[in-house]
Amino acid sequence: MTTYPLNSNPPVSFTAQRARPAWGKLLLRFSAVIYLLTFVAVPVIVVNVEGLRSGLDAFLADLTRPAAMNAIWLTLWTSAVMTVINVVMGTLTAYVLVVYRFPGKDILNTLVDLPFAIPTLVTGVMLVLLYGPQTAIGGFFQNQLGFKLLFAPPGIIIALLFVGYPFVIRAVQPVLLTLEPNQQEAAQTIGASDWYTFRRVILPAIRPAVVTGGLLSFARALGEFGAIIIVAQRPQVATVYLYSQVEAGEMQAASAVSVVLLLIAFIITLSVDLVESRHHA
Amino acid sequence: MREIRPHKPLHFLILGIALVYVAVLLLAPIVSIIQRALENGFEPVITSLSEPNVIHALQVTFLMTLGAVLLNTVFGIIIAWVLTRQRFRGRRILNILVDIPFVFSPVIAGYTLIVLFGRSGWLTPTTIPIVFALPGVMLAKTFVSLPFVTREVGPVLATLDTEPEQAAYTMGASQWTTFRRIVLPNIWPGIMYGVVLTLARALGEFGAVSVVGGGIEGKTETATMFVFRALNDRNDIGAYSMSLLLGVTAIIVLIVMRLLRRSVVREQAAYVNHSG
Amino acid sequence: MSIILDKVRKVYGSQTIVDDISLEIQTGELFVLLGASGSGKSTLLRLIAGLLPADGGQIALDGRNVTALPPQERNTGFVFQNYSLFRQMTTAQNIGFGLEIRKQSKTVRDKRVTELLKLIGLEGLGSRMPWQLSGGQQQRVALARALAYEPSVLLLDEPFGALDVKIRAQLRQNLLEIQRQLNVTTILVTHDQDEAFELADRIGIIEGGKLLEVGTPNALYRRPQTRFAATFLGAANLLPGQRNGTHVYVGDTSLTAPPDTEHLSNQPVEILVRPEEVELALQQDALQSQLVGHGVVQQVGFAGPLERVVVRLDDANFEPLQVLLSPEKVRSLSLARDSAVWVGLQDYHLLPRNGEAVNN
Repeated sequence: MTTYPLNSNPPVSFTAQRARPAWGKLLLRFSAVIYLLTFVAVPVIVVNVEGLRSGLDAFLADLTRPAAMNAIWLTLWTSAVMTVINVVMGTLTAYVLVVYRFPGKDILNTLVDLPFAIPTLVTGVMLVLLYGPQTAIGGFFQNQLGFKLLFAPPGIIIALLFVGYPFVIRAVQPVLLTLEPNQQEAAQTIGASDWYTFRRVILPAIRPAVVTGGLLSFARALGEFGAIIIVAQRPQVATVYLYSQVEAGEMQAASAVSVVLLLIAFIITLSVDLVESRHHA
Repeated sequence: MREIRPHKPLHFLILGIALVYVAVLLLAPIVSIIQRALENGFEPVITSLSEPNVIHALQVTFLMTLGAVLLNTVFGIIIAWVLTRQRFRGRRILNILVDIPFVFSPVIAGYTLIVLFGRSGWLTPTTIPIVFALPGVMLAKTFVSLPFVTREVGPVLATLDTEPEQAAYTMGASQWTTFRRIVLPNIWPGIMYGVVLTLARALGEFGAVSVVGGGIEGKTETATMFVFRALNDRNDIGAYSMSLLLGVTAIIVLIVMRLLRRSVVREQAAYVNHSG
Repeated sequence: MSIILDKVRKVYGSQTIVDDISLEIQTGELFVLLGASGSGKSTLLRLIAGLLPADGGQIALDGRNVTALPPQERNTGFVFQNYSLFRQMTTAQNIGFGLEIRKQSKTVRDKRVTELLKLIGLEGLGSRMPWQLSGGQQQRVALARALAYEPSVLLLDEPFGALDVKIRAQLRQNLLEIQRQLNVTTILVTHDQDEAFELADRIGIIEGGKLLEVGTPNALYRRPQTRFAATFLGAANLLPGQRNGTHVYVGDTSLTAPPDTEHLSNQPVEILVRPEEVELALQQDALQSQLVGHGVVQQVGFAGPLERVVVRLDDANFEPLQVLLSPEKVRSLSLARDSAVWVGLQDYHLLPRNGEAVNN
């Protein structure tokens, strides 16, 4: 191999130099880390420390109190039911928004973001106005069907469906939008029905997004407070139980339930991260 | 995916289900609050909203929300930048931290603030009261609305072509100048969108602020807390009026979001059509 | 000595992208760094600009050691393949940006921008936005933007790669004129050897992160030192042979050893002969160049202004020869498939047979 040695005496001093450290870059990173540690990591740590302060036994005792267990169970199953309904309806709505052209489509697309914008408390108030026992609907359910809407799980699920409405839709919509029509059209020319095409061609493609959206709406439902406290102060979901314990000064009990809720939420966030990274890999 | 006009019965069925669902779930409640609040005309609404403690609650809400939005915008951009443009150990953890306020129950957040800054809290400062005082309210609002700017700006930054920035560096522009003149104009829609979402979230927060602030009338009571208290006090018209006000604000926020989204799409389309 | 690179190195993980490259470029020279994709040429350019930090070696620009300096302080002009104009600014603002950073007054800036717009042939288009310009126009603006603040070095990274062939040819000419006029030291990176031939004062061939050969276009084309360079710069016929003191034995015949090949005495060699240097004749004594053998035409094909003839030599040891002849010559010899021809070599060069160049 030919080399090309320098044949001039370099008029510069070529003593080795090191690059200067990038202060600006580090400062930015430092600010970001401090901000997130302060506002996010600290609360997580606080909850866990407080919850386990009196040791594992006390923690478990607080956790297994009937009120606490019932609250957690109620939260879990109502959120789960809501998630299942939301996944189905959300995927359907996303499909409608992407595939069909109809008058008022723009309005629907805007409305999807409404639960993001409306204070959850106001949601609760609206739902009480609509489904409370004194209203036509609520009265009908209660008197004719013997079935309370509010102050009962159905009301809770309705409230959760309201606040969780955008999650699955907004997760699935972008994926559907960027889906190439070729595969769908190919399936149609081969003779596949719409449902078959949906099931075998479209669904597999949007599955990660549906899963992500479902997980996110489940996590959101776990932590919902404002709407539920209006719609159903009793029976207590976990967040309402938490609130009552804090108000009553029972910090230990509050912490125990917080830790559990946090743990579940954390697992969900990790799962979402996992689904997304595997999908993008 | 190509858009089609529904023409088969199946299409209409699916479309119908989606529309009925949104009408029952979303529209019906909105209609009921409007109907109920304006039952006796605008006057009772305006009267109840003009009471001094209501006005104060609105002021508190406005100022504390503003503070939360400012903090989260500045730091949100910084965090988005650090996450998308820098590579370092622990970046993934930081990324996960950003999403935690999405899943962290606001009540727990408020509770944490009490543990930290309450009467016998870990870090209670002696000079400024935080719990049952305005700083606590602002901290609570900041926490719950933390992720939005980062999550809206991040993807834009990640997909932005970095070569114009490199060109600017070779031309002598400092990193700050380059950010200000080259990057910022390109991420502006993302920022605006994030700000609007942050605003809506901070404005509507209830669980955290009620735990931390205590809802002290005339002092730390926010608009949402006022609604809660009004309901308990059987001050129906007060509760519904404020709910209506908050709801209308939310709808305005929504419309702004829509307009922003449309202008972003239009700008991107114009650029794509003409470049290259 | 405008640009000096001393053992510059860049590593990503376990891969060495730029492997101890040393090079000197004269003031005012238009140097072309020629290599295939992944050869490290774009990385080297970015190391010179300071857009990437080097892992080893030193870089000096215009007498200053810039190795530790950030790109802001190196005073280079960089032109990207995708133009990378500032989308939110007008053409004039783009071009004037470097002067703005240097705190030049508006009058000075405006004057310079007008000068440059004239230089690149876009007078009067100062208030256009980038998306209103064609690709070729955008690239010219990128060039003006890089030159506006009179950098000591102009760096271009495959600047014409994203443009149509016709525009490319035009811009190449523009670049040549501008570079000559301003006498700015320039490094242009490309994978297109025609571009290199047209523009370069000297070419540097880079492959696998190493600088293989440096020389004028003519020297590299006619007298390359490596097989890689020989085949990279154009079609190359390679015939195995053996050089002794004065001759080269190839097949059954011998040719006189070409000049500047003494270092390959008594070694196995490859004879490099370009398609345009092969002579074909119907009778042996009609050949005006040195005879190398007899063969049969396999194919006569169209190659634009010339005809490409493929000849299989009788000696089975040799690969078919690519020959370029004028159409007139093909007609006069009535060349067609299966025509018998005598083959001679007009101009040829020698390369070492094991593929590596020998140190001079």
